[in-house]
Amino acid sequence: MLENQETRSRIKHLLVDALHLEGLAPSTIADDAPLFGEGLGLDSVDALELVVALEKEFGVRIQSHEVGKEAFASVNALAAFIDGHLPAAGKPNAGN
Amino acid sequence: MLRSCSHATEIRTLSAETVITGLGTIGCYGHGREALAAALAEGRPVVSEVDVGAGLHREGGARLAALVGERDVSRWVSPAAARRMSVPSKLVVAAARMALAEAGIDATRDGSPCVGVYLSTTFGSGLSTERLLRQILLEGAEAAQPFHFSECVANAPAAQLAIAVGARGPNVTLTQRESGPLLAVARGAQAVREGRVDLALVGAVEEVTPLLHALLDRFGALATKEGALAEMPRPFDRRRNGFLAGEGATVLTLEREEAAQARGARVLARVAWSGAAFDATAPVSDWGDGHAPLAAVLRAGLDEEPGGAAGVGAVVSGASGARRGDRIEALVLRAAWGEAPLPPVLVPKAVIGEYGGGILAPGLLALEGAHFGPPHGFAESDPTAGVTPHRGGARQIPSRVLLTGLAAGGAAAWLLLERAS
Amino acid sequence: MPGIDPYPGASRAVVVTGLGAVSPLGWSVESLWDGLRSGSIAIGPFDRFDHSGHRTHVAAQVDLTAEPERPRGKPRRLSIADRFAVAAAREAVAQAAIDLDSCRERTGVYFGSSTGGMLETETYLEALLAAAAGQGKPPSTSLLASQQHNGPGDAVARDLGIGGPVQTISAACVSGAMAIGDAILAVRRGDVNVAIAGGSDSLCRLTYAGFNSLRAVDERPCRPFRADRAGLSLGEGAAALILEPFERALARGARPLALAAGEAATCDAHHMTSPHPKGLGAAEAIREALAGARLDPAEIDFVNAHGTGTPLNDAAEFEALVAVFGDLAPNLPVTSTKSLVGHLLGSAGALEAVATILCLLHGEVHPMPDNGTPDSGIRLRLVLGHPLRLERARHALSTSLAFGGANAALVFTRHGDQDPER
Repeated sequence: MLENQETRSRIKHLLVDALHLEGLAPSTIADDAPLFGEGLGLDSVDALELVVALEKEFGVRIQSHEVGKEAFASVNALAAFIDGHLPAAGKPNAGN
Repeated sequence: MLRSCSHATEIRTLSAETVITGLGTIGCYGHGREALAAALAEGRPVVSEVDVGAGLHREGGARLAALVGERDVSRWVSPAAARRMSVPSKLVVAAARMALAEAGIDATRDGSPCVGVYLSTTFGSGLSTERLLRQILLEGAEAAQPFHFSECVANAPAAQLAIAVGARGPNVTLTQRESGPLLAVARGAQAVREGRVDLALVGAVEEVTPLLHALLDRFGALATKEGALAEMPRPFDRRRNGFLAGEGATVLTLEREEAAQARGARVLARVAWSGAAFDATAPVSDWGDGHAPLAAVLRAGLDEEPGGAAGVGAVVSGASGARRGDRIEALVLRAAWGEAPLPPVLVPKAVIGEYGGGILAPGLLALEGAHFGPPHGFAESDPTAGVTPHRGGARQIPSRVLLTGLAAGGAAAWLLLERAS
Repeated sequence: MPGIDPYPGASRAVVVTGLGAVSPLGWSVESLWDGLRSGSIAIGPFDRFDHSGHRTHVAAQVDLTAEPERPRGKPRRLSIADRFAVAAAREAVAQAAIDLDSCRERTGVYFGSSTGGMLETETYLEALLAAAAGQGKPPSTSLLASQQHNGPGDAVARDLGIGGPVQTISAACVSGAMAIGDAILAVRRGDVNVAIAGGSDSLCRLTYAGFNSLRAVDERPCRPFRADRAGLSLGEGAAALILEPFERALARGARPLALAAGEAATCDAHHMTSPHPKGLGAAEAIREALAGARLDPAEIDFVNAHGTGTPLNDAAEFEALVAVFGDLAPNLPVTSTKSLVGHLLGSAGALEAVATILCLLHGEVHPMPDNGTPDSGIRLRLVLGHPLRLERARHALSTSLAFGGANAALVFTRHGDQDPER
């Protein structure tokens, strides 16, 4: 649970930094708030920008077909997505 | 609802003139015509120290640039809209909105006029390009960020402007260095005259990053300290040794005179004539020696205008302090005027540097009779060039001004503006 | 009502009298046509720079060893893009048999480039950054060559001793098409007697990495308009066209290849990297070009599409074609030169104009490779596998859609096929 919270917090900071969401405090982004379309109103280029940032921050590798709005729909969705891709011991690396 | 821009399928030579109705400008001097006028009256280059922390600058080279600095453009570009804009894009949108406001045009209204965009830049967004290249070269290919790529294409500012104001006509970005701004105005004026667009947003933008500054200096292009001589651009001076790199943006609104009159808009100037040519003796990034054919084109163009060369009340020169650039500029002017004395030759790049928004804004101010103070770097004329810039002092308010732009690499452009009666 | 009559005898008809091309298929128009006609895919492994860190490893590269003759001037000062441009322009001028000595001051150069000498700049910067980090000496600035976008156009003007207007447009993927459009207008307007129009770009790390960052590059050679299309392929090269007033061309005994019948440029004003999904701006440009050419959509015999192979571009472009051609669309022959030589960015529009004119001259549309699966949502008559022999090869449309939303359309008419009754 603590790990997940840390992941979510890192993701929120990443969103603000990588996407230049000036004036938005990371802690104010709700875990389940929509990121694309409504909510934060991000678009496809933001998604791609996020991919580069996530790959750098978490060391994951994200395939083009995975860059979809479901996986990126909210901070929760992103955290689950990252968890599924982390090359941790005993976990199959779904990123390849 | 998208408004059709396709009413102009033929070239029509319309009887009405093309006029400038709005001016927006941001540079080292701040924003707006008053800030620019104050700087031109002072005559001193508005400079800041360039950040040399990256270690890219050479020893003993240039250290100053005419930078925009931390200008707050939120009045014209909201932070939300600016989120993914590079500095050049922000500057262009801000300058365009200033110009549209002055012209009294609300371009976002439904049924708005067909708007074309004609901008010039030399280097595009230097910062976006540099960041992207650093990522690729130092961090690896996959570290490239999409935001930087979409902003480092030369037409990014023009594209951002089109989105910001709903400009669906032609979207043209010219990259012809020092000639670019004048070519952009000429191109936009042609489109208006031929009825291809109702409104042309024309102008120029440049960003000067520490890397670009370092590269220009390594080329020997920038003014540098030399013995007792301070680092300063000295257009037409015998001791000149380069130009001052400047950043900024200028955008003008161009439309048919009858449209401006119908709206009750104030006409700032008429675009009377434009000319372009090429000096094939110029090496790749420098100026050449072929002044005679250039002068012939300029002279022929002026001769077609009422009053000819004698009717030009002032030359707003593109002279920047570049050694060979100022020389050929001077030779072209003297050859074009022949035996007749030159009108006052103004050198705004002594104050605002080279690139940036070009000399479009100073050109308009000159036409309005603005005071240009003596350029601080000038002490003695170069006998091999033979032009002395206007040293302050009273000038008659001109009815016509000639803007000049000779580019490194050989391109040449001129623009004649006249006061609306 | 004053206007343009684009047909012979009219004072403002603009014709194409020379073509030049440097492409991944070779350093000539002939090698270009041979390759296009036979559907040769020039997209494959390349070594212009190290791409090992990328997800993709294909591009369409020009064979530098086959360069016919080095241009004058200090070779180190010319970038690869400059060299492509000079070679293409020389070929076009030679074909047009223009006596430049008699009209230098009345000849202009209208070029397009998206990155100019960026490849050389990257090499220079790599060395400069290393020097700043204490590894090696700062590189000589002569390595920077002509680093800007105006390099290729200026190189052409310098090589040929041009004295008239010279300009470079840098508007990403429409640069070449817009340059040709500007040249047509300049000739019609009487600014010049001869216009050398075209474009040039080389492969470089910036655009390869940039398009990859947008996940817009296919790992395989691109498959425009196919259901399984997965992105574009990058290419490099240059193209040039000689444009002059019809009357002048005839008077000096030149043989016009085609009439530059129509041109238009618009902007979606929609999004920085994606086209308008309905292709509204592109449709507008096509309509305007057709109107300028005084042609109905039904008179277009084939289309050389922008057709990059990205999911978004091809879908939007299809919408644009349907908006203009309506029920004619399913039978409209469409090809994409990019399927064979990749996306030449700033010179794409120019190379594709050359390809379009070649198809008109030969009376056949060059094919795209018959790979990929049909997209049921894109109902066009795609030319696949082998060339399509045309019963009528009179009028053709070439489209370009750019990054940043700009669109351009050019209409060419085969010389001799103008209807004198109009």
